Amino acid sequence: MSTTVADRRPASLRLALGAFLVFWLILAAFPFLWTLWGSFKVEGDFFSRADWMNAVSGTLTEAETGAPFTGDGYYGAWVQEEFWRAGLNTVIVTVSVVVISLTFGTLGGYALSRSPYRYAFWLLIIALVFRAMPPITLVSGYLLPFFEWNLWGHLPTTIIVLVAINQPFTLWMLTSFFRNIPKDLDESAMVDGCSRFQAFRHVIIPVMWPGVITTGLFSFLLAYNDFAVTSMLLSRENLTMVPKIESFLGTTQTRGNVMFAVASVVSVTAPLFILVMFFQRQIVSGLTAGAVKG
Amino acid sequence: MADIQLQNLSKRWGTFVGVQTMNLHIADGEFLVLLGPSGCGKTTTMRMIAGLEDTTEGDILIGGARVNDLEPKDRDIAMVFQSYGLYPTMTVYENIRFPLKVRGIPQAEHHERVMRASATVELDDFLQRKPAALSGGQRQRVALARAIVRKPKVFLMDEPLSNLDAKLRVSTRAQIKNLHHELKTTTIYVTHDQIEAMTLADRVVVMNKGAVQQVGTPLDIYDRPANTFVAGFIGSPAMNLIEGRMTGGVFEADRVRIPGFGGIADGPVTLGFRAEDARIADTGEIAAPVYSMELLGDASMATVQAGGALVAIKAAKDFMAQIGQPIAAHVPADICHLFDAATGQRIERP
Amino acid sequence: MKHRSFFWFFLPTATAMLLFIAFPIVSVLIQSVYAPHEQVIIEVENCGPFGCTATTTVDQEATRALREAQPMGRFVGLDIYFNRAHLAVSEIGALWTAAPDLGTFFSRLLGLPFYGALSFTLTYTFLVTPFSLMLGFVIALSVNALPRILRGPTIFFSLLPMIVTPLVGGLILFWMIDSRGVLGAFFQYLSGDPDLSVKASTPMMWVMLIVYGIWSSAPFAFVVYYAGLQTVPQDTLESAMIDGATRWQRIRYVMLPHLLPLTTFMALIKIMDNFRVFEPIISFQASAHAQSLSYFIYSDLGGETRLLSSAAATSVLTIIGIVILLSPVLVRTWRSFGKA
Ligand SMILES: Nc1ncnc2c1ncn2[C@@H]1O[C@H](COP(=O)(O)OP(=O)(O)OP(=O)(O)O)[C@@H](O)[C@H]1O
Ligand SMILES: [Mg+2]
Repeated sequence: MSTTVADRRPASLRLALGAFLVFWLILAAFPFLWTLWGSFKVEGDFFSRADWMNAVSGTLTEAETGAPFTGDGYYGAWVQEEFWRAGLNTVIVTVSVVVISLTFGTLGGYALSRSPYRYAFWLLIIALVFRAMPPITLVSGYLLPFFEWNLWGHLPTTIIVLVAINQPFTLWMLTSFFRNIPKDLDESAMVDGCSRFQAFRHVIIPVMWPGVITTGLFSFLLAYNDFAVTSMLLSRENLTMVPKIESFLGTTQTRGNVMFAVASVVSVTAPLFILVMFFQRQIVSGLTAGAVKG
Repeated sequence: MADIQLQNLSKRWGTFVGVQTMNLHIADGEFLVLLGPSGCGKTTTMRMIAGLEDTTEGDILIGGARVNDLEPKDRDIAMVFQSYGLYPTMTVYENIRFPLKVRGIPQAEHHERVMRASATVELDDFLQRKPAALSGGQRQRVALARAIVRKPKVFLMDEPLSNLDAKLRVSTRAQIKNLHHELKTTTIYVTHDQIEAMTLADRVVVMNKGAVQQVGTPLDIYDRPANTFVAGFIGSPAMNLIEGRMTGGVFEADRVRIPGFGGIADGPVTLGFRAEDARIADTGEIAAPVYSMELLGDASMATVQAGGALVAIKAAKDFMAQIGQPIAAHVPADICHLFDAATGQRIERP
Repeated sequence: MKHRSFFWFFLPTATAMLLFIAFPIVSVLIQSVYAPHEQVIIEVENCGPFGCTATTTVDQEATRALREAQPMGRFVGLDIYFNRAHLAVSEIGALWTAAPDLGTFFSRLLGLPFYGALSFTLTYTFLVTPFSLMLGFVIALSVNALPRILRGPTIFFSLLPMIVTPLVGGLILFWMIDSRGVLGAFFQYLSGDPDLSVKASTPMMWVMLIVYGIWSSAPFAFVVYYAGLQTVPQDTLESAMIDGATRWQRIRYVMLPHLLPLTTFMALIKIMDNFRVFEPIISFQASAHAQSLSYFIYSDLGGETRLLSSAAATSVLTIIGIVILLSPVLVRTWRSFGKA
């Protein structure tokens, strides 16, 4: 922003905005830092009856394990409770969902962006309505047929369901993105001798990556963060990380288990931190892409 | 090489008419220019010929064969887009080579043909650059080279010069003209710049609101405009048009009285003449006070208010008059064009 | 694009959406009018040395056969919709005649599971949506006033509450407000009540869930508003300055009109998202105090008994709710498209 005389904000206003921002940042970041710190303590410290300062100093942790920090929570979750299995499932599910979603989505989004007919518009509206369906309502539609046809519980079923749930959003993003690629490009290719598909392959695919990467990030987030579908459609041994955390909460009330949950919460959040760190710009542009263009 | 026929060609979107029953025969090797104001349907016509837009009605024949249902790639045309449509991820060399590659022309020929095309448009020094690193004129030439690298039946060019500055436009125009002379490929060229149309065309098609107004050589169109739209569109300044009445071979309007139209029926007519055909005189058919004076360099332009319109008259460059000063112009009947007041169609003089 | 190539390009995504979105909607519609078979009861006469006694037992064989023959269950029409767990028509009738005044009627109405869930869902949606938009807007204004180098890290931290799974974000907050957690201790200190527990109080639980909702939705609004602020037309702002507009007038007449379409868009998205809230209720273990429509379906589906028909009926009602919420948008699109 320029700093012309007219544009300069009064000092009081700047102070107020600054103070507010500090407040917000604490609100946004502190819970994560606190949980990260606490995940290396024992339960008695993280949930301290006596004094919350224990969580900072780690008094009980030191007493129980002999050091102010402990990896017990992580060991318990990852090794004892086999959280690694869930991690592996998550990798399989997210990678497949992202790849398939983007393949379907780029083809469909490209077609929508290049069709002059009315049905393209109505298809987008239908996609919007589909986007509004809470996933859990769809899940209640899946269960009976999936039981009947023995599809329930397997990773591929969940993958294709997540792909489908993801399609409306992917289509919207990619359509608006492809609209920004000049039509001249594929049309010259077609005049130059390509069929529609060849034009797509030779000249559109090489220039579509920024939009596809942005959309891919959001597909990833959807698959990675999903709880409604994965918790309902996966059998116990196939659970991904997020529903697995929930199973730590519900079933076992034994002491120490909640620290497994804390450790796995941190484990689930860490990759997201890294993702935001590297792809902040794409995430911001993706969030705004739909909005700014209406 | 081939001729092109458009038979009753129409394009509508819902109720909106883009192109209205167009009939045209473009001879083999001809350079045809589509000219008209923005939004008149030039691009739409061209895109239908290319196969990028479906036709609503009518047929398109290239070399005698109906091509309505052929894909663009099967029509054997080359097209230069207004925004060039260069492939940003490929170098200039690959851009030019692309049509050869996708059409399965033997690899061995590629290099030679690319080099020949790029030499024709003087691009040899830029072959390894990406389009983003080129100036507008250079991009324009890449698009041209890509069009000529194979020998298509038809060239289609949609305002290829509109993104260039005035000077570059003149030189590229000459290059296109020369290229056509060399290759003798049937060419359809879209522009809304009449100088371009006049200098390049064998024949010009003037369009307005989706309908063809006149087809003819540049001279035809300039000298014998078919209706008031063409008269008012072609020439700089455009033809003066005055609405008035014909009574016994004499045209009359406010401050205008032109005799000598024997054999023209009485009634309301529109009269037109070109500024450069009239001349300032002591007394004349038009006598009115000066509205404005402009110096053009090699001449000056006097504008007067007469017959309810602004009328321009070309004068010598040393002619001087104050605004409001009464002057007169000599406008003999034989430099005048007459148009039907109601339909705007040209009235032929006996 | 020609219809034919459009068809092939669109086929994969259309198939996926048809099979796994459109079809399940049909499937819940059908399931919601069928109830599971009751067990087949047979009467067996046991004749022993002391005479015969008739006992009833479940005929496992016949039950299984029946279930296999008609896996959908038996057709019950709209019964499930009208039963106590859903629209509770007869219960409402009874309440209406029994309740002494409107206030009691409504508080008892909200005691019915479906209406309780509906009221929480709507409260949540219509409080979280506007407040998160406002919070996001103020954050965007503050970040916009920041020097450039500080903006990146600020945006990074601001994105975190949105990017984590609701379940995980909810857990993180929940552990802090636990009566033994750091915030819980703080609240106890503030109120001077050492036994204060958020978990035990329904109003506090609602407040916490809504606070969580605002916390996790605000970043989205912030980012969109922030990008919107970058695209405010500079020359309009400058001409407004020259015309003598004050800071507030510039915000009022240039910025806000520019941001209005963004607000509509975000409100739409956020209403859709908030309406499906349910993970935070799991994280906060709040189901005793607050249920949402989605949670209602989730708890029907989970557990040993999987009440598919009941879940299906709730799903259909939820979908109807969504369609009602979306209808202004749909009608507007329909109209403007009819004109075009
Ligand atoms: N897909 C479309 N749907 C509806 N109307 C269209 C469509 N494409 C073009 N038009 C309309 O058809 C008319 C003719 O458009 P066209 O592009 O052929 O004009 P043009 O003569 O090339 O103009 P310009 O000189 O500005 O390029 C315009 O009024 C345009 O708005
Ligand atoms: Mg055009």
